[in-house]
Amino acid sequence: MRKRFFKKILVLGLCLSIGLVVGQRSPSLAAEKPIVIGGSLPLTGTFSATGKWVEKGYQYWADEVNAKGGILGRPVKLVIYDDKSDAKEAVSLAEKVITVDKVDLLLGGYPGTACTAVMPVVEKYKMVYVSMGGHMRSFSQGYTYSFGSPPLMGEWWYLGFFEWMKTVPVDKYPKKAAVFTMNNPIGMALMDSLYKGCKELGIEIVIDEKYNLPLTTADTMITKAKQMKADILFANGMFPDGVMTLRACKAFDYSPKAIVQGIGSVIPEWTKELGKDGDFVFSGTSWHYKLMYPGNDKIIKAAKDKFKEDEPPLYFGFGYAWMQTLQQGVGGAKSLDQTKIRDWLKTNEVKTIAGNFKFDEKGLPKPYVYLTQVIGGNVELIWPPDMRTHEPVYPKPAWK
Amino acid sequence: MQGRQLLVKIRPPLNMLNPIVILQSIVSGLLMGGIFALFGVGFSLTWGVMKVINIAHAAFGIMASYIAYWGLTLYGIDPVLSLCLSLPLLFVTGLLIHRFLIQPITRSRDVVVASMILTFGLAIVLENIMLFAWSPDERLITTAYSSQVIFIGDIIIKVSNLIGFILSLMGILAIYLFLYRTCTGKAVRATWQDPEGAALQGINLRRVSMITFGIAIASAGAGGVAMAYMYSFNPPVHNLWLIFLFLVVIVGGVGSVIGSAIAGLMIGLITGLSGAFFPMQWVNVLLFGLLMGILLIKPEGLFKK
Repeated sequence: MRKRFFKKILVLGLCLSIGLVVGQRSPSLAAEKPIVIGGSLPLTGTFSATGKWVEKGYQYWADEVNAKGGILGRPVKLVIYDDKSDAKEAVSLAEKVITVDKVDLLLGGYPGTACTAVMPVVEKYKMVYVSMGGHMRSFSQGYTYSFGSPPLMGEWWYLGFFEWMKTVPVDKYPKKAAVFTMNNPIGMALMDSLYKGCKELGIEIVIDEKYNLPLTTADTMITKAKQMKADILFANGMFPDGVMTLRACKAFDYSPKAIVQGIGSVIPEWTKELGKDGDFVFSGTSWHYKLMYPGNDKIIKAAKDKFKEDEPPLYFGFGYAWMQTLQQGVGGAKSLDQTKIRDWLKTNEVKTIAGNFKFDEKGLPKPYVYLTQVIGGNVELIWPPDMRTHEPVYPKPAWK
Repeated sequence: MQGRQLLVKIRPPLNMLNPIVILQSIVSGLLMGGIFALFGVGFSLTWGVMKVINIAHAAFGIMASYIAYWGLTLYGIDPVLSLCLSLPLLFVTGLLIHRFLIQPITRSRDVVVASMILTFGLAIVLENIMLFAWSPDERLITTAYSSQVIFIGDIIIKVSNLIGFILSLMGILAIYLFLYRTCTGKAVRATWQDPEGAALQGINLRRVSMITFGIAIASAGAGGVAMAYMYSFNPPVHNLWLIFLFLVVIVGGVGSVIGSAIAGLMIGLITGLSGAFFPMQWVNVLLFGLLMGILLIKPEGLFKK
C-alpha cells in the first residue's frame, strides 16, 4: 500500500518536472505578449466593400501566422479601426495607433487617397508602412519608410499591354487610338504608360478626352470613336463607366482591334454581369490569383472555403501580400526596430503572392503590371509570357 | 497664345461634327433625359407639396432596381413586370414612412431642414439594408433585348433605353393625369399652391400629404428601374443619382410635373449635345453652368408658376 503510494507520488513528480522543463524551454504562444499590428481601413462608407476584403486578407494572414507560431516567436494581434472611407480620419487613426495604442507594426491602408495622406505621418514617426500607395506621386516625396508591395501604379498600368503588343506583327498594330479617361487622379495616372506606349508603337491618338464621374452616357463617345475610325479603344474608367462604354460599343457595332479597360474588368462582376459581352477586354493588374507564385493556391482555397468565393477577390490578395512583405521584413531584421526592418526591406528581396520584389529608394519594385484579357468569361493572364494562362485573342472578334 | 492653344484643344476635329454624331447625341440625350425626368418628378412633388426634401428618394429607386434584378435573375421576370410588385410595395412603404417618420417632423419649425436630416438618416439605413441583402457588388440589368437596337437611318436607338424612356413617359403621364383629372390630385395641387386655403376648403392635408408621399416613393421605384436599364448600380450609388434629382427639380421648378419632364429632357439634350461639340470634360461645366444661370435668372425654376 505504502509502495503504491510512493509510486504515485514519483509518477506525479516526474510529470510535473517534465511539464516544468518543457514549459520553460518552449513557452506557449498564447502566454507571449502579442505583436500588435494596427491601422485603419474603410470598413464603412464608399470604399467599404473593398476595404472589408483587405481586412479579410489581413485576418487570414494573421490566423495563418499564429497557427505557425507567430513572428519572432510571438503571436500577432490586429487592431483595425474604421476610417469611414475618409482620408482625414485615416490620418487621425494612424496618429492614434502610433502615439496612443503604441502598436508594434503598422497596417497598410486603402484606398490610394488614404495611403497618400498617411505616408507623411509614418515618415514622421519612422514606422514602416507597406501598402498600395497612391500612385507615383505618393512615392516621389522622399519617404523612406513606405513600401509598395505590390503597389497599384496607374503610371505603369499599360506596360504589360504594350510589351505584349510589341510581340504582335507590326502590320497588325492598331493605327488610331480613341482614349476616354475618367477625370480624376486615378484616370490621370494611367496616361503616362499609355502615351509612351502609343508613341513607341506609332499609334496615333485621334481622340483623347476626359469625362467627369458619374458618366451619364457613353453613346456620344463611342459615336465619335467610330466616326474617327479608331481601331483601339482605351476606356480608362471603372466598372460603371466601363460597362456603359462596352454596351455602347456593342449597340453601335463598334468593334476595334482591341478594347483596353482601365479598372473593373478583372473583378468577378465584370464577367458575371456582362456575360459574353465582357469577353476579349484587356486590362492590367498588380496581382492575380492565377499567378504562379507560391501561396496563391492557399489563397484560392481560403477564398473558397472561408468566404465561398470561386475566385479570390483582388484586395483579399493585396492585403495578404502586404502582410507577407511586413512579415519578411520583421523576420529578416529579427527585430521590431522600424529602421532595421526598413533597411532589411531596402536591401533584400521579398517573396509575395504577387511576385518577388526588390525595392528602390522610393520603396517601389521594378516597374511591372500583368496584362489580363477576359476570355470565355475568365480573366486570363497574357503577359509576361512565363505567367500566361491563355493565348491572347487579337484582333477582337466582331460583336455577335 | 495660351488662349489660342486652349481654343485649338477644345475644338473637335471637323469630321466629328457631322450630322450623324449630332443627331445620335440628340436621340441618346433625349432618351436619357426622359428617364431622369421620371426619377425626379416624385422628388419634386414631395418638395413642392410637403416641403419635404427626401434625400432617400434615390435609395428607394435603387431598391426597386434590386427587386427588378432579383425578379430577372431568379425568376426570369422582365424588369418592367417587376414593377407590378415593387410599385404597390413602395407606395405602401411611402404611406408608412409618412405616417411614422414624416408626420412627426411637420411640427418642426423648419420642415425643410428637419426632413433633409431625417431622410438622410433613412437613406443610410436603406443603404445598409441593401448592402446586407444584396452585398456591395455591382449589378447590371441584362435582358434578352439589352443589346438590341433599332435603326432609323444611321441613327441607333438602344431598345433598353427606349423601354426606359417609354416607362418614364407613362409614369409622368400617370402622375399628370392623377394631379389634373382626379379629386385627390386636385387636392394635392391645391395643397401645394396654398396649404392654408386648401385646409379651409376642407381638404385633409395629412391625407393628401400621405398619398403624395406614397406616389413619390412609387415613382422613385419606376425611375429606379428605368435608370437600371442604362446604368449599373450598387447600394451606395444613390448618392450619385441624387445629383440628377436636384438638377431636375431646380431646373424644372419645385413641384412641377411638366417642369420636371421638360427639365429632364433638357438636361439629357444638353449632356448629349455638349458631348458632341466639346470634349467630354466640358459636359458637366456646361450643365452646371446652365444650372447656375437658371438660379440667377429664375431662382424658382424655369417652369414654376
